[in-house]
Amino acid sequence: MHLGVLLLAAGNMVSGWRLPEAEAGSQNLLLIKKVTDKAEETKFDFVFFADGLNSFAGMHPSMVVRLEPLTLLGALAMTTTHIGLAATASTTYTEPYNLARMLASLDHLTGGRIAWNVVTGAFAEAAENFGAAKHPPHEERYAIAQEFIAVAKGLWDSWEEESLVMDKASGKFIDAAKLHVLDHKGKFFNVKGPLNITRPPQGYPVLMQAGASDAGINFAASIADVVFTVQQNKDTAIAFANRLKAVAERQYLRNPRHLKVMPGICTVVGSTEAKAKAKLAEIGSLTDPDYALKALSERMGTDLSSYPLDGPVPELPPSTIMQGHAITLAETARRRNMTLRELRDFVGVSMGHKLMCGTPEQIADEMEEWFRDGAADGFNLLPPYFPGAFDDFADHVVPLLQKRGLFRTEYNGRTLRDHLGIPRPDHPAKERPISSDRLRQASMT
Amino acid sequence: MSEPRHMHLGLFILGTGHHVAGWRLQEAEAGAENWPLIERIAKTAERAKFDLVFFADALNTGPNVHPSVMVRLEPLTLLAALAVRTTHIGLAATASTTYSDPYNLARAFASIDHLSGGRAAWNVVAGAFSEAAANFGHASHPPHDVRYAIAAEFVNVVKGLWDSWEDGAIVMDRATGQFADTSKMRELNHKGKYFSVKGPLNISRPPQGYPVIIQAGASETGRDLAASIAEIVFAVQQDLEIAKNAAADLRTRVVKFGRDPRHMKIMPGVCPIIGSSEADAKVKLRALGEFSDPVAALKVLSERLGHDLSSYPLEGPVPELPQSAIMQGHAVTLSALARKHKMTLRELRDYAASAMGHRLLIGTPEQVADGLEEWFLAGAADGFNIMPPWFPGAFDDFVEQVVPILQKRGLFRTEYTGRTLRDHLGLPRPAHPRVATNVV
Repeated sequence: MHLGVLLLAAGNMVSGWRLPEAEAGSQNLLLIKKVTDKAEETKFDFVFFADGLNSFAGMHPSMVVRLEPLTLLGALAMTTTHIGLAATASTTYTEPYNLARMLASLDHLTGGRIAWNVVTGAFAEAAENFGAAKHPPHEERYAIAQEFIAVAKGLWDSWEEESLVMDKASGKFIDAAKLHVLDHKGKFFNVKGPLNITRPPQGYPVLMQAGASDAGINFAASIADVVFTVQQNKDTAIAFANRLKAVAERQYLRNPRHLKVMPGICTVVGSTEAKAKAKLAEIGSLTDPDYALKALSERMGTDLSSYPLDGPVPELPPSTIMQGHAITLAETARRRNMTLRELRDFVGVSMGHKLMCGTPEQIADEMEEWFRDGAADGFNLLPPYFPGAFDDFADHVVPLLQKRGLFRTEYNGRTLRDHLGIPRPDHPAKERPISSDRLRQASMT
Repeated sequence: MSEPRHMHLGLFILGTGHHVAGWRLQEAEAGAENWPLIERIAKTAERAKFDLVFFADALNTGPNVHPSVMVRLEPLTLLAALAVRTTHIGLAATASTTYSDPYNLARAFASIDHLSGGRAAWNVVAGAFSEAAANFGHASHPPHDVRYAIAAEFVNVVKGLWDSWEDGAIVMDRATGQFADTSKMRELNHKGKYFSVKGPLNISRPPQGYPVIIQAGASETGRDLAASIAEIVFAVQQDLEIAKNAAADLRTRVVKFGRDPRHMKIMPGVCPIIGSSEADAKVKLRALGEFSDPVAALKVLSERLGHDLSSYPLEGPVPELPQSAIMQGHAVTLSALARKHKMTLRELRDYAASAMGHRLLIGTPEQVADGLEEWFLAGAADGFNIMPPWFPGAFDDFVEQVVPILQKRGLFRTEYTGRTLRDHLGLPRPAHPRVATNVV
């Protein structure tokens, strides 16, 4: 299975940072580096930095102030050697030329370890930081994203491999025949190209996506190498994974094995189940109820502050942001007959993701079950706090997964595509698609 | 108090060297995507106690541009990588105010300033090349004065965003559960002619308050923008008297904007060609000239003069051209130089190919040091932006042979005495406006 860790450095739980043993701060490079080093020692596929383009008083402590993810990846490129480095960037509030360059540059700096989590920009508040009169509607954001990706890929293909000749004797710096001008003219973007950086080592950086709406699933099925998903129930998760892979295969003629579905899990590990539950209760007792209700409101797409806490979770109109969370949380509340207060507290600890609280064996068992039954190709770990909660998982759960043959004990490649087992996309100019393995074999003989 | 006044030195890193043919020398290592080379050069500059390394940028490319700018690592991600591989040296990069968003750019520079512990600098450019427009969905490049008006408002917005959080706003009090002191947070609510940005920024105030602001405008509007915002000015003068006048003009303008002229450092670009004798240095320059690709060299000159010169006769005089709308500093300086020396187009092309139109200093280490000292003592420069014709050798020569002379003459530091780029430059850290108001 594949493992990633979402490094929300004040913890995934809104109150995780308050534990005495927690270190905290999304601007704390030393902590971020420490966790990243640990993830690399543990042979994780990647560390992942989510992002947003706004801030406000009362925002989740991991997000209110933070290092900017692309520059952060530039720094981590130098402090790591194998682990994949993933970050969110918005297709609504960036320019394809700028973003394609930065991601290509990072892929060069890391020798092919970069992933881009494509988001269309969930929070409407971001629009006001970019002079936009309003946030574009949901469907339009996905249409923009689709075109943005096509432009970015086209820009990454500006230079074929080995177009940089640098022959001192003849003075030939490039092979201009291998230079491609994109000349894209679309509904949302006009971008001429070429990009001023050569093709990324991975061809394209790995693409990640987390859409859960119909438009989102379509988008993920068409472009994503890794899909993040919010799932509470195994059967629902299996149905989601099957649907996504079926759309990828039938509609977009993709190999479904090249699409990795990774649900988020929030783990609290104890040497006994009772100890794990006590830890969870300790964190819960520190939770600021206002933060938690704000986090729930974001996930449901409606401000819930005026609803009675001890009443049932209200029936709400469909959310236009974070639809995966909204659907999953509403379903969970219905299934368990939760009050609004109960759902608030649930989100306060897990941020809406699946909570796995128990002994290392219990957690490994559940992960194995989800993995074997086709609910997950891997998991995106959301530790409630750092570094302890992550160390607990790395030191106690990962060895069990390794012993069961479910997780690698060594890296056997150098790029993130190698770790994930997904092929490097050839340059479109190649007449016949040849796999990179065959290329390597050919060059060795 | 009479502190020794030191000159400031920046290293302008262009991966294949500043000379268009620098990469072709046998000893040259090359490549603007060559991270190990770039890291090695930056560390050499840090060992030599340089104030900063600088990466220029552009948002377009093509088969005939200068090889150093054809393909390259993106400067902001590059600075972030250097931030963790260096400890003292300033890290400067160009970013355009025409083709980026203030919110995104303010964040990225704040982040680099945090990652480096206060060593970031931003060279504000209004986006010189009109070809960039086509990469950003614009029908045409905005005209010169509009670009500068955009730049002025952009920088204002960015500073406002950097002030979103007062120093010490992130309290992280575990006992009370207070993470941020939101009384120290403020929304910018900027509504201007070109930008509407609400804020706050989602990163706390940079260690330097604001990263150091660099500007290189030479036109009338450009000089005013530099005088109002720049803490470092990259200049292009060739001639001492002209440079002195330009510096005096800039300092007068700075005072007009209510700023302390000592807080603006004028750093002309200089390309040193160092030899064991003057003749030896000239041989090196000639060898480079023989390697030059005439098409790339003429393209460099055309960019600097603002006109495509490919249809003019090379043996004829440098043609009289209408005023350039881009890179005006280069256009004026190069035209004056051509007139003064009665140069043919070919001669001017070869001159511009050496240092992209900047001042050449050719000779022994002593002669190069003399050339720097003369300008520094005459008030034409507070320091220099060193532009080696190739890497790493031409820069190693400067570090090993010229820097020690400058140090012996008491003109350059032998140790860093501070940790931030503002420390190196002797620039104060700007107070948060709310704090500044309270003090008064």
